[in-house]
This record gives sequence, C-alpha cells and structure tokens, in this order.
Amino acid sequence: MSPAPAARRGPGTVVVTGAAALSAYGPGTDALLSGVLSGRPAFAPVQRFDVSARRVGVAAAMPGSPDLLTEVTRAAGAACDDAGLSPPERARTPLFLAIHGDPAIARAPDSAQPGLGPDAFTGAAASGSGLAGPGARCYMSACVAASTAIADAAAMIARQHADRVVVAGGYLVDCDQFALFDAGRVLADDGQVRPFSAGRRGLLLGDGVGAVVIESQESARARRAPPLARLAGWGRTGDAYHPCQPHPEGHGLARAVTAALQRAGIAPEDLGYINAHGSGTGQSDPAEASALRIALGGAAGTVPVSSTKSLHGQALEASGVLELIVTLLAARKGMLPVNAGWLGADDSCRLNLVLGEARAAPAEFAMSLNAAFGGANTALVIGLP
Amino acid sequence: MTPLAPIASPILAGLREAAAGTGLAVSSSASWPETGADAVVTPLAGFIESNFSPLLAEVAGRALRGRAVPQAPGRVTAVVMVSALGDITTAARVAAAVDAGRRVSPLLFFQSVPNAVAGYLAARWQLTGPVVCVSGAAAGLDVAALLIDDADADEVLVVRVDLAVTGGGDHAAAILVTSPDGRDQR
Repeated sequence: MSPAPAARRGPGTVVVTGAAALSAYGPGTDALLSGVLSGRPAFAPVQRFDVSARRVGVAAAMPGSPDLLTEVTRAAGAACDDAGLSPPERARTPLFLAIHGDPAIARAPDSAQPGLGPDAFTGAAASGSGLAGPGARCYMSACVAASTAIADAAAMIARQHADRVVVAGGYLVDCDQFALFDAGRVLADDGQVRPFSAGRRGLLLGDGVGAVVIESQESARARRAPPLARLAGWGRTGDAYHPCQPHPEGHGLARAVTAALQRAGIAPEDLGYINAHGSGTGQSDPAEASALRIALGGAAGTVPVSSTKSLHGQALEASGVLELIVTLLAARKGMLPVNAGWLGADDSCRLNLVLGEARAAPAEFAMSLNAAFGGANTALVIGLP
Repeated sequence: MTPLAPIASPILAGLREAAAGTGLAVSSSASWPETGADAVVTPLAGFIESNFSPLLAEVAGRALRGRAVPQAPGRVTAVVMVSALGDITTAARVAAAVDAGRRVSPLLFFQSVPNAVAGYLAARWQLTGPVVCVSGAAAGLDVAALLIDDADADEVLVVRVDLAVTGGGDHAAAILVTSPDGRDQR
C-alpha cells in the first residue's frame, strides 16, 4: 500500500523534547518503562480509602495519598528539566492540563467553589512549574482529555500558532471516581485487566501523571535540544452513536487512526507498534479491533498491539499523556510492552497482540489510541527522530 | 417583565466575543434563560439530579434547530463544551453519597463526565467531529478555530453551561461557528 495522501495540517515538524511521569510503578519515566516491560501488572488492594462497600477493591495506586496539584506541577517541571528549558523559556510556554477537575470542589462550601475551578487549578500548576499564565487551559474530556490536548498542541505548533506547549495530565485514584466506576459495574472483579482477551471482566483504575514538552523542530534545534521523538500525526473524531458506548464497529476510531496516519504521511504497515486504548471491557475491545481492521486493512493482522492499561491501569483524563510516554519510551528502546492478563483468543478481537512477555522489535513509527464516553476518539503517531 | 421578554445572556455574549476574536462566523446561537418562559429545564432521559446535561442539550438543540441552512450531508460538526466549574451538582452528589456510605447511582457514573451528554447530542444530531471539553470560552473558540483550520470539522457547536453556585440561576449558551467565508474546507 502506498503512503496515504497528505492530510490538512500546518507545515511545521513537531517534536517531543521532554517527558516526565509518575505511576504505580513509582516516580519517573525509568520506573514507568521498567515497570511495563517487566510485564507485572501494578494492581493491588486499595489502601488509600475504604473500599469495603465496593464490588471491587483493586487498583494500581502508589503508596499513600499523593496530592494532584503537587504531582502535576512536579511533572510539568520535570518534563521541562528533561527538555533542558531555561526559566525564561518556561515563562513563555503555555500549559495544557488534562484533569477531571479540582478534587476539592465536590466537598467545598458553595462560597469556595468559584475559586476551585479548572482554570484556577491550571493556573496554579503553571505558576508552580514556572510556565506561562497566559494561554494556559484545562481539558476535561474524560479519557481523551490528555490526548486531545496533545493533538491540539501539535496542530497549533504545526501551524506556527505556538513554538512550544507543555501538556500535562493527572489522575490519582480517588474514592469518588472509584465509587462511580464500581457503581457502573465496569471494574474487573477478578483483579486483572485483560484487553482483547476471552474472559475479560473490565477495567481497573490506576494512578497516572505525565507531562511532555512539545515544540517545533526549529525551536528545538535553535536551543540544541535533542528530540525524543517526532509527533508525526494526530487524529480526533466522534462516533455520533451513544452517550457512553463506542460505535460497535469502531467507525469513529477508524477515522481517527486514518487521519493520524495521513498527517504522519505513512502507511499502516509502517507502524511498528500500537498502544491500544484496550480498556478490557466487553464492548470497547471488539469495537477497537474492528476500527483497526477498517483503518489498517491487512496490516491489522501484523502490527504488534498491546494495551498497557493491563499493566498501569486506567488513568482516565491522564491516559493520553501517560500512554504516549509509554509508547515513546518503548519505541525508543525497541521493546514492546506485553498485553498482560491474557487468557485466550476472542474471535471478535483478533489482533497481533504482544503476549507472554515484552517483545524486542523495532518501531520507527508507533501509535497510541484513546477512546472515551461520548464516542470521542484520538490517535497519536510518534516517529523516532 | 412579561413572560416572553428576551433575557440578555452574558455567557452568550462571551462566546460571541471569543468567536469574533478567532474570526469565526456565528451561524446560529441560543441561550438559557432566553425568555421568562425558561423557568424549568426539560429533563433529559438517563440524566438525573443535575441541570448540567439537560441545559447543555437544551441550548445545543436550540442552536442546531436555529440554523438558517441545514447542515449538508457529509459535513462534520464538532462539539466543544465550556464550563467554568463543570457539573458541580453531580460532583457534590457523588461526594455526599460516598461520605455517607450510600450507594452511588450508576446513572451518576455515566454523567460524571461532560462527554456523556456530548455523546447524546452527537448521536441525536449526527455530529461526527471531535468532542472536546475545555475550561474557558477563549480556549473553546481557539479549539474550534483549529479544528476548522485543520479540516477536522466544517462547523463547531460550542456550548457553555455554568450552574448556579451561590444564588442566581443556571446559565447556558450555545453557538454554531464556521469558517467566515463559508467555504468548504475539504
């Protein structure tokens, strides 16, 4: 198959020059990569709050009760450190932050609520990490919040509307979301996430904080910053199908994948790895497998696929940045994380899954997929520099 | 005030101002309350306890029905939601149930993110573009302009809902924006 035609995008080349992460595997991108490559899921009984009244009591959470603002601020700063950004460069760089909201607002008195909005929270994170106040914005679009922010940052930079944006996202397992997901009966009651597998029983939540510095190639070159990867393509679409179920054949997600490949100017077989949305739920996994068959054609049977949610859990609004970082680190190392929890084939989810253990394989291009309530879908393609 | 006297909407004015700042054309708009007749918002099946999603659906539906020219088949509409504080009613109900050790309604799970009502709208009106929720009107219109520039959408439905916090009523507004010259971007 020949490369797809160029899609509409700005002419600039977009690169990632810094990354930082925090997960149940511990602080830092090294801990995240070694954790996912170990193949050992990070799920354990929840200690952070009382789960005795819940159907399920398992998540991938760090010890203690970390504070969201502290951690997203730290991650944004650490990504800037990783990118070698000076204080004046940070002060000119806006922050796009992906969160559910300020965790304090639900229990605040009415009079305090106006000060606990997402703009105030994002402003505090920007100020705390030395980033610009003007241009900061908060994304709250559920499980595509961070990936949408990354796509928007890339699109802006490609169009030369910005030189550089820091995108951060954070979700720390909390009693309210845990209760909601438990009430929705979507948590895996066998304590494992088994994406695309027969016998899969749902998702599990996981702590995830991530930040990336996204900038124009010219900006990175001018300050002699080596790129970690190119942000080669991006796509975002809606299913127009249902408030909370994906289109059963993944039509919207397929369009997002196609748009991302077109923007990257690559063919499906050029992909060396796909970090799938792979929530491990009954409806979502077959829809995603169908989307990949529609968008990739024959390559859907050959491109290695895994969902690292089977290892670090579902980080909700932060998923897109955490999983892009996993995808980028795995591609750079040439080691593809395993699709953990596998019990056996499900004919509705046939893909070339990475099973058993992490697989050594080159991935010059890799894709990270996310999907959310509302039928929102995103696809991000990175290319090694 | 007579029941049908128009009520000025500061948040609609804010959306229009932000649209003007991006150079996008507003092809339709709506607000809540639009007149004194807007006292009780029509319930939305599947959404409970909070006015956030019903209000969002109400003003979005008004703006979509108010289009001068129906959306041509195959053209793509994105949904961008804007809210200062989000659905604080749902968040507070969940927190109260958790703190009291009460069962949380599964319906609150679905509506706990703004995407759910966007998905309802998208299915109802066949809006196949991206679904985005951001914190402010300026950011929302910047996202809308970017989606149109990059041909991810031909038009964008931008909806804002601000629930009452300390007194006062709930407010909502929606605008449909397109490229200013109306040209097809594809």
